[in-house]
Amino acid sequence: MRRNNPKRELWFAWYTTVIFYNFYFIVFFPVTHAQPPPHPYWSDALVANWFGHNHHGLIIGFGIIFAVAGLTAPQNALIAYSMRRMSVSRVFAWSYLVLYSVAAIPGLLLLCVALSVGALRPARDPAQLHWLYDFGLLSFTGTMGLFLIGSLVWMLAILLDKNRVLPKWFGYLNLCNALTEVVIAPAWIFHAGVFSWNGLISWWVDIVVFGIYTGAFLTQLRKLIQREDFGDGPLPELTKPHRAGASLAGTAP
Amino acid sequence: MNAKVRPLVIWLILSAITLGYLALDSSADDHGAYRASSVVTTIAIGLALVKVRLIFREFMQVRNAPALLCRITDLWVLLIGAALLGSYFIGLAAR
Amino acid sequence: MTEIAEAGPPPGADRQPAEAAGKPARHIPGQPDMWVLVLFEALVFTAYFAVYLYHRSAYSGLFLRSQASLSPWLGTLDTLLLLTSSMFMLRCVQAARAGAFRSAMANAHLTGAMGAAFLASKITEWFLLVHGGHTFTSNQFFMYYFFLTGIHLLHLLIGFIILGVIIYQLRGPRRRSLELVETCATYWHTVDLLWVLIFSLLYVVR
Repeated sequence: MRRNNPKRELWFAWYTTVIFYNFYFIVFFPVTHAQPPPHPYWSDALVANWFGHNHHGLIIGFGIIFAVAGLTAPQNALIAYSMRRMSVSRVFAWSYLVLYSVAAIPGLLLLCVALSVGALRPARDPAQLHWLYDFGLLSFTGTMGLFLIGSLVWMLAILLDKNRVLPKWFGYLNLCNALTEVVIAPAWIFHAGVFSWNGLISWWVDIVVFGIYTGAFLTQLRKLIQREDFGDGPLPELTKPHRAGASLAGTAP
Repeated sequence: MNAKVRPLVIWLILSAITLGYLALDSSADDHGAYRASSVVTTIAIGLALVKVRLIFREFMQVRNAPALLCRITDLWVLLIGAALLGSYFIGLAAR
Repeated sequence: MTEIAEAGPPPGADRQPAEAAGKPARHIPGQPDMWVLVLFEALVFTAYFAVYLYHRSAYSGLFLRSQASLSPWLGTLDTLLLLTSSMFMLRCVQAARAGAFRSAMANAHLTGAMGAAFLASKITEWFLLVHGGHTFTSNQFFMYYFFLTGIHLLHLLIGFIILGVIIYQLRGPRRRSLELVETCATYWHTVDLLWVLIFSLLYVVR
């Protein structure tokens, strides 16, 4: 890379996003077993048993998350950056930043705090542990409204954009993502079955959609950085050898 | 067929199939009490897929689209059919 | 609001498919991107349907008894309303292609009217069911019923917004993007397509 490569910060943001998702997956799934979520219908005793069984995983895993949670900031910034590069109003970028920054509280941190608090004192009354368990898992699953609105903000920006920053199909995928988040709302009502917080529809179908959506936005943001020319107009497409006159060489680090 | 008349003809076919459901519906009942029937279910799903394909090809104009989209939508009809019938019969077997 | 018909031929250009002996110009109406949404949503809904059908056939007694509370006539009416709306939508697109914007606008409004009638019918049906003591949490069947019809209704409401985009486009001579009208029409047909499946699964399947 040349000195003062203007894309350096963008690539930094992109790589921290990838790194954060790796931390997230490893901590939430195999380390803490917080995902897939354990059952909402468990008794106090079973919940206490789960905390006991996962004690070290919870403490260590969420300790790591607390250390690296700040990595979500460059991710939100990069997505907001994509909207700043678009021809639409800056309101979109700022709204998204605020929404997703706030969303990290119920959508990530509260779960980590609640379950860590539960794991901190294994001798805690099982009823209290159950309270922490419900509080953490419901806030993680059930507060999709912020993410939903954020997806819609990004969608609208992409569809209105004249600079071709991100493809229209990705805008529509944001709508699909938003709609699957609506489907999680019944988790506040059902303790068991397909609409509970770990249900076949509320969690399993949603996680597939979310996985596809995450893969898509990581890929599209990468392409955006490759295409970026730091202008105000339409982003050039990635150059192919036979296209003369294209201003951007697709430089991937 | 005249392009102006075609939408109406397609609508008539789709409506006829829809009304056919009412006949299927009443044949499935045992003096007003609903009874389970794999045959009715299979026919109902099959007819729905016929309608879906017609909607794809005619209303959404896949008929005039590049071959790739034609094949993808046909594949989708097959996928949906397989998923629906599969889950129904697997559920039956699991009972 | 968006680019003015910069992709694709101007309205009035002959894009009608030729009849059997002619050379049909094969193109995807509207943005190909919209098909990503169509196909993706179709798969997501299929996942919901598969879950419903699996549970249905495993617990058929309850589902059959509850299903008897639904009116196949209302379901049929709903289906006919949406099929009719799709027909008007197709005619709207055809008229827009031919440059007949007054006709296109009329068809767009008829599409909306059919959609509104569906909405009224669905709300009436929900009201009657709730009044009869059947709610989202009554039992498994009604959980699926209200969920599937509810998420579909949400798609319909989005469809109204998208129909608004069509009408907005058709209204002003400077704005008419045929590509956008066709893209929006593709979405509307999806709402119809999803209902066709939902109707057969909730009302007819035994």
